[in-house]
Amino acid sequence: MKPNLTLAQAFAEAQRCLLCYDAPCSKECPAKTDPGTFIRKLHLRNIKGAIRTIKKNNILGGVCGVVCPVEKTCQKACSTTEISRPIEIGKLQRFLIEYGWETGFNPLKNTSGKKAEVAIIGSGPAGLSCAAELAKAGINATIFEKKEKPGGVLRYGIPEFRLSAKFLAREIEDIKMLGVKIKCNSKIGANGVKNFRKKGFNAVFIATGLWNPYKIKIPGSDLKNVITSLEFLESVRNGNRKKITLMVKNKNIAIIGGGSVAMDAANSCKELGSRKVYCLCLESLAEIPASKDDLETARDNFVIIKPQCQVKEIVASAGQVAGIKGTETEWVKPNLFIPSNVREASGTEFNLKVQAVIMAIGSGPDPEIKNLCPGIKYKSNNLIKAKKDGVSTADKNIFAGGDIVRGPSLVVKAVQDGKEAAKKIIKCLN
Amino acid sequence: MCGVKFPTPFLLSSSPVSNTAEMVARAFEHGFGGVAYKTLVIDKTKIIHPSPRMAKYNYGSKKLVGLQNVEQTTDRPLKDNLLDIKYLKKRWPKHPVITSIMGFSENEWIELAKMSEDAGSDMLELNFSCPHMTVEGSGMKVGQTFDLVEKFTAAVRKVVKIPILAKMTPNITDITEPALFAKKGGADGITAINTVRGLTEIGLDDYVPKPNVFGKGAISGFSGPAVKPIGLRFIAEMAQCKELNLPLAGCGGIESWIDAVEYLLCGASILQMTTGVIHYGHRIVEDMCEGLSDFMTEKGYENVKDIVGKALPNLHPTEAFDLKRQGIAEYNLDRCIGCGQCYIVCRDAGGQCLEWDGEKRRPVQDKEKCVSCMICSFICPVCDPPMITYKEVKNKKPVIPSVSK
Ligand SMILES: Cc1cc2nc3c(=O)[nH]c(=O)nc-3n(C[C@H](O)[C@H](O)[C@H](O)COP(=O)(O)OP(=O)(O)OC[C@H]3O[C@@H](n4cnc5c(N)ncnc54)[C@H](O)[C@@H]3O)c2cc1C
Ligand SMILES: Cc1cc2nc3c(=O)[nH]c(=O)nc-3n(C[C@H](O)[C@H](O)[C@H](O)COP(=O)(O)O)c2cc1C
Ligand code: SF4
Repeated sequence: MKPNLTLAQAFAEAQRCLLCYDAPCSKECPAKTDPGTFIRKLHLRNIKGAIRTIKKNNILGGVCGVVCPVEKTCQKACSTTEISRPIEIGKLQRFLIEYGWETGFNPLKNTSGKKAEVAIIGSGPAGLSCAAELAKAGINATIFEKKEKPGGVLRYGIPEFRLSAKFLAREIEDIKMLGVKIKCNSKIGANGVKNFRKKGFNAVFIATGLWNPYKIKIPGSDLKNVITSLEFLESVRNGNRKKITLMVKNKNIAIIGGGSVAMDAANSCKELGSRKVYCLCLESLAEIPASKDDLETARDNFVIIKPQCQVKEIVASAGQVAGIKGTETEWVKPNLFIPSNVREASGTEFNLKVQAVIMAIGSGPDPEIKNLCPGIKYKSNNLIKAKKDGVSTADKNIFAGGDIVRGPSLVVKAVQDGKEAAKKIIKCLN
Repeated sequence: MCGVKFPTPFLLSSSPVSNTAEMVARAFEHGFGGVAYKTLVIDKTKIIHPSPRMAKYNYGSKKLVGLQNVEQTTDRPLKDNLLDIKYLKKRWPKHPVITSIMGFSENEWIELAKMSEDAGSDMLELNFSCPHMTVEGSGMKVGQTFDLVEKFTAAVRKVVKIPILAKMTPNITDITEPALFAKKGGADGITAINTVRGLTEIGLDDYVPKPNVFGKGAISGFSGPAVKPIGLRFIAEMAQCKELNLPLAGCGGIESWIDAVEYLLCGASILQMTTGVIHYGHRIVEDMCEGLSDFMTEKGYENVKDIVGKALPNLHPTEAFDLKRQGIAEYNLDRCIGCGQCYIVCRDAGGQCLEWDGEKRRPVQDKEKCVSCMICSFICPVCDPPMITYKEVKNKKPVIPSVSK
């Protein structure tokens, strides 16, 4: 992980803040973390108050400070941009949370009680945030997680060099301290939600995320060294890196995709010792969905980003991946960034010599989700269909949030869903 | 303080930030625990504020480290202000209103005092300290003529029951003298400080000091963070004066909870502020309340009064220092970034104990020659923890510079 700011750096940065009226940054934070207020508090040397503000509003404030694509959220709205550069809001947020850990200041108290029992499926940001919020209201929240460690994408998707397991575990400590129980290695299977009801849980929150990776079907996509980014990143993070290292070390790798996940895969390959790493994506450089930070890391790692190209075939030799074929594309009309405006550019066919291919083109819900909870509505792509508030379902005691409702989204939005769901659960229990 | 309870120790001081009930009410909503209402005068003294009436004092990119103003007392009709005070007492009965008044004769002091008490004021504050009244024989000029302080205080004391504070000017040498005269006249407490007479900026094209009131400037009241050391000193001096022994309202440059705690430690019981509000608005009080309460929790205090004056036993005349103990500036060069500022200031203004290693870009210290003035540590950019710290050296003799050869 990148080093944290020092106290002096954080003060200096907070001193640059214009302390806007009706702070626009605060309006842009999906989880309502309220950066306008916590930066003002830091500016006026009220450090504890600043930490209190973050933790009260966003139980994963430290994690969000690290992983939020701030140039697309709070920082996008910073008024300071008009006179110099935006305030580094994410860095200040992370600084404050870590500073609290280092100095032993924790504004949260264990107020959990036994007002009611709520089961939460999935320990990603949505599940953790919902559980914390419930515990704060004196409700007994138990998270069931199928994997060995809690955190969802934070633990098994985002690579260690961006968000360390230690940092995440420390922030999850704060959540456990509130009285939240996390049961790992507890996969919830068919009719799981119904069984919870029988066991006396008063409400259920489903936050299972998207763990079914998509693959494009082209010739060669069934070859052995063609894997999905989720499988790849999870192997990198689950402690048995040997096999995966063997697959990419000293090899040329093609990654299909241009989002943050593709960059994470590319940067992880570099970390494991790959030679050439190509990111092949449909978008132009201007539209690439990856965050500025991720792109910068990729550039520093000498990842080759090939924008505006279409892959056609994975070339095999003796049953092994030997290359990837495709062509570059161009816009029919300039500056109209829609798929139907794309055509192949003649004479740009390429054939890159690579020994493994990683597909980073997104993921969807586990199809089993419908058996897990048959009583509610689903969309055609198996995402849970929520009501207008984004978290209520057709069953008044069942709630859902995070990626399983939104589709691929952001950590900070999952946090907000958890908060919102907790609010609705508390209301429904009363 | 003086038997009056404040929900929080933070008050608006008498100034444009306390000039109408509407403003004051909003301040209360944010957490201010009372107000020293903008100074009232008898209507026959027509008050017109110069325009513009304030000027900024910026330091580098830091805005408003000081504020210059030529504002007078309130410009509103007395009747309106009294109605506003009544309104405040009705809407916010638990938030004390200290009404600041200024007369231009004994009768005016008496009249204002009575009317303020009748309007429901919890206390009075006698303004003996405005440094730039355009009316003769008023404001600071009274505060500098000690028998007038006593005379007017006594006149007011006779006609009201509510506690009386005397607000003092810092534009004198020893503040305890007029404070004792105020006590003799019957004051129940002292507020300090009002603004310090100063000049902040001169126009470089027109040579007019600021604020530039159509070609004219004036020596006038200076406030804000830059005057905090002066305010703190006067509060501490009065708090240490056994003969005075009156509760104190601290004022001058309070902006953060740290400033507030320092004033309390030096003997203030309540705190007043203006420039902080002019700079940031009412919201600063939220951070002061939170910061003060965290500080007290951390140190294990229950009540604000438990920390009042805690620094006073450590405040001595300089002759009390133990001159046998000496030390040096200790350098932790592991974290040095090689800017060389320490070398420059030590050579040109310190003990000349540093050499400069140009190759490594590091200072080389001759510990024997260090006079422990510590100026190098003040300008060193490496902090938290600082790279240059003070360290006592056992049996070190004071370093005396030798004769130039
Ligand atoms: C590689 C990658 C990088 C990303 N980088 C960023 C980033 O930098 N910034 C950002 O804001 N967003 C990023 N995202 C998106 C972000 O991680 C997601 O939007 C967010 O994690 C969604 O949270 P969630 O709680 O809904 O689901 P998840 O984090 O997916 O958590 C769901 C949890 O549910 C568990 N689960 C699933 N089914 C069951 C079951 N049947 N029983 C028990 N447990 C179950 C899973 O094991 C998992 O732990 C990234 C996503 C990926 C994949
Ligand atoms: C614009 C302005 C007007 C002021 N008017 C008054 C006044 O009418 N009566 C008074 O007692 N003090 C007046 N003061 C002084 C303040 O109440 C206060 O004592 C001083 O500004 C120092 O505190 P500060 O540094 O928090 O501003 C005024 C100050 C300013 C800046
Ligand atoms: S602060 Fe408001 S009243 Fe004062 S000069 Fe500016 S606009 Fe006018």
